[in-house]
Amino acid sequence: MNLRLTGLAKRYGAVTAVDRVTLELVAGTTLALLGPSGCGKSTLLRLVAGLEAPDAGGVAIGDQDLTRTPTARRGFGMVFQDFALFPHLDVGANAAFGLVEARVPAATRAARVRELLALVGLAGLERRKVTELSGGQQQRVALARALAPEPRLLLLDEPLSNLDASLRESLKLELRSILTGLPAGAIYVTHDQGEAFTVADTVALMRAGRIVQVGTSEELLAKPAGPWAARFLGHDNVYDTAPQGAHLPVSDGALLLRADLTRLGEPGTGATDVSVATAAREGLAWRLTLTAEAWGVTVTWRGFDRELPGHPAPGASFGLQVPPEAWRSIGSDA
Amino acid sequence: MRPSPTPRLAGAIATLFLAAFLAVPLAVILARSLAPSAGEPFGAGFLAALTDPYYLGRLGFTLGQALLSTALTVVVGLPTALLLARYRFRGKRVLTAAFTVPFVMPTVVAGIGFLALVGPRGVLGVDLRNTLAIVLLAHVFYNFAVVARTVSGFLEGVAPRLEAAAATLGATPWRVVARVTLPLALPATFASALLVFLFCFTSFGVVLILAPAPAFATLEVEIYRLTARLLALDAAAALALVQLILMVAVGFIYTRLQERLAVSVVPGDATRAPRGSAHLLLGGTLLVTSALVLAPLLALSVQSFGSPGSPWPTARNYLGLLTQSHTVGFTDLWHALRNSLGFAFSSAALALVVGFLFAYAIARGGWRWLDQASLLPLATSPITLAFGYLLAYPALVGSVWGVPLAHALLAFPFVTRTLLPAYRAQPPALAAAASTLGAGQLRVLLRVELPLLRPAFLTAAAFAFAVSMGEFGATLLLVRPEFATLPVAIFDRLGRPGASNYGEALALGVVLMALTAAVMLVLQRRGRSEF
Repeated sequence: MNLRLTGLAKRYGAVTAVDRVTLELVAGTTLALLGPSGCGKSTLLRLVAGLEAPDAGGVAIGDQDLTRTPTARRGFGMVFQDFALFPHLDVGANAAFGLVEARVPAATRAARVRELLALVGLAGLERRKVTELSGGQQQRVALARALAPEPRLLLLDEPLSNLDASLRESLKLELRSILTGLPAGAIYVTHDQGEAFTVADTVALMRAGRIVQVGTSEELLAKPAGPWAARFLGHDNVYDTAPQGAHLPVSDGALLLRADLTRLGEPGTGATDVSVATAAREGLAWRLTLTAEAWGVTVTWRGFDRELPGHPAPGASFGLQVPPEAWRSIGSDA
Repeated sequence: MRPSPTPRLAGAIATLFLAAFLAVPLAVILARSLAPSAGEPFGAGFLAALTDPYYLGRLGFTLGQALLSTALTVVVGLPTALLLARYRFRGKRVLTAAFTVPFVMPTVVAGIGFLALVGPRGVLGVDLRNTLAIVLLAHVFYNFAVVARTVSGFLEGVAPRLEAAAATLGATPWRVVARVTLPLALPATFASALLVFLFCFTSFGVVLILAPAPAFATLEVEIYRLTARLLALDAAAALALVQLILMVAVGFIYTRLQERLAVSVVPGDATRAPRGSAHLLLGGTLLVTSALVLAPLLALSVQSFGSPGSPWPTARNYLGLLTQSHTVGFTDLWHALRNSLGFAFSSAALALVVGFLFAYAIARGGWRWLDQASLLPLATSPITLAFGYLLAYPALVGSVWGVPLAHALLAFPFVTRTLLPAYRAQPPALAAAASTLGAGQLRVLLRVELPLLRPAFLTAAAFAFAVSMGEFGATLLLVRPEFATLPVAIFDRLGRPGASNYGEALALGVVLMALTAAVMLVLQRRGRSEF
């Protein structure tokens, strides 16, 4: 059954944290709530969990309204940013916490805990103190604990943000495979596009309490809804007005230049000539800042040596070849 | 860390001070209570005192009332702590500060406050003087904040998030309290209960003022009587030793517990606004506790402006303080004020120096034992300390230096505990940066570390000042009549019959209360210490 949020709103004094959010999550899929810090995504998650009461709007699963249902009765599992493991309980007792509340018999409980700890790669650590675990291990216990009572929805609040970068990379893929195996849906809150695109089927982009755009990662990257979304998703070449003299077929609101669709050739071979302002190595690839004097803009361009007509020394001149589909009109921010 | 000359020197001076003004007096008490006298075997006097049914009774009473007081304090303090940790509401900061007021009030003010409330001339018309009830009430009043603040401070950073986690796992509110909140609160509750037990076990001023009958004498009161009234120094030494052993044992458990608590606290505030019936629970509990906390102080303030037979407020008690300085043996307001402030300034200055030496040696020298040693004065009762001075340095007692030295010794642990966290919070890179710029260790201290410690020093100074100004037991034993402080002047007046003496004691109590409150305002606006 799908989770439906309708017109959810929450204010703290003068600040509107969540502004009339309407959203649907298809059962069995993962939705990422992606946005910069302070955009209200964690508050939205707490509203879904029932940890905060909304000022307006509702939360429902199928046709069952849950807006007034206390957290304990919603049957949603949650993984917290700081893991929130119970320091007075060991790993096994943490994982079994929800099973005790669900009055699962002790024998079944132990089997289920064993099964889940194995799933998250912590088999045999039942008696370990949670304070003796590494950050990554704590994260795994938090996940096992949330999954143990078989929640009908799993909520994850920046679950990887307290871990170091290399651990984040590997856990990201692991989380993806665990979440795809779940019958329940999941909402995954993050500020990291990479995490959102890796883990989720659908991404909801959030800004200042509102949902800006919802779609798959391909849809979001190909058609960002406005200059803010384009920049936040990692596009470098976003122009609020059309560059002068570029003779563009489209022109209304902001423009996005997909540099990955352009080529560099000898001077005079392209739509305009550009000169190298800065050239930086990013591993095997180059990251060039190019000045398009005729257009009065700079273009950021990434590529390998074989895609360059010559060495990109500062001051070097190239022709920028731009196919029509590289330009995209993306409207303006709401 | 490699100890270098400057911290070594600081550590050496600090240790020397502790040895001279704590270890030697205590050693003399030990020697006096165990040493064979007049052909008796070693330890005979100590054993005789221990087996004396009267002294055993005193020990039993002291333990019993301390346990009862502690249990009551936990019963009153814990619900408040749980509510404070869970909810945010308007006026919470003010209320939390108000709860701390009794704890920082001098024992004499607490004592006279309860006399004004439920004493022979009390505003409620019920005379509870010389009952166990009034002692227990005063102890709950005095220590309630220790439980409420320690436990709520500990839970605030942890509980709301873990409670939220428990709720997402299907636990209903009462199940959350039973399975998460209470288990989490247990160690902090136990630690604060130990501290409360220590305070009640060595209760002196409150007992001496509210229940002066011999049946209610605690060990501390008994040691005072034996020393000051009966001059039975051998028996006093034996009792002091018994008390010291118990205190050190309890203090040891407490510090162990503190270390364990310090590990698991996560900073951050995740409290929430109360909803629905929680309003009622919160409001009701806070109303009861506020009444308990404020009633004695309110009664004291109101009664100090009263006079027998007149329904209107007058300033007669205060005027009497200014004019009646000719009464034999009484210190008038100005002299008491001058003495109190003089002692407070000199002992705060001394405590700052000693406390800093300890903090510096601990932080930069890395000596753990010194950290433990700096807590020892807290496990020594003021009467025992003063008694030790009487035995070890009789000359000191006649001079003006006895009181400031004792006060500085009692106050410097607070200074060290306030400076240490501030010191530890300084990034080590700052000192390193200064030394790469050519500053030697002493110059680093002067130009980088000390300036950064300035706010902590102010807090520490206020702490030390308040400790000295409110200190009663050691002052009573050590001070010469002409140097009587405010607490001693209040006690002197309470010991004489007559409505005007009582009225003046009330007025002096209000002055002392106001002074302490002023110092506490400085503290409240600054950071916290490690307690």
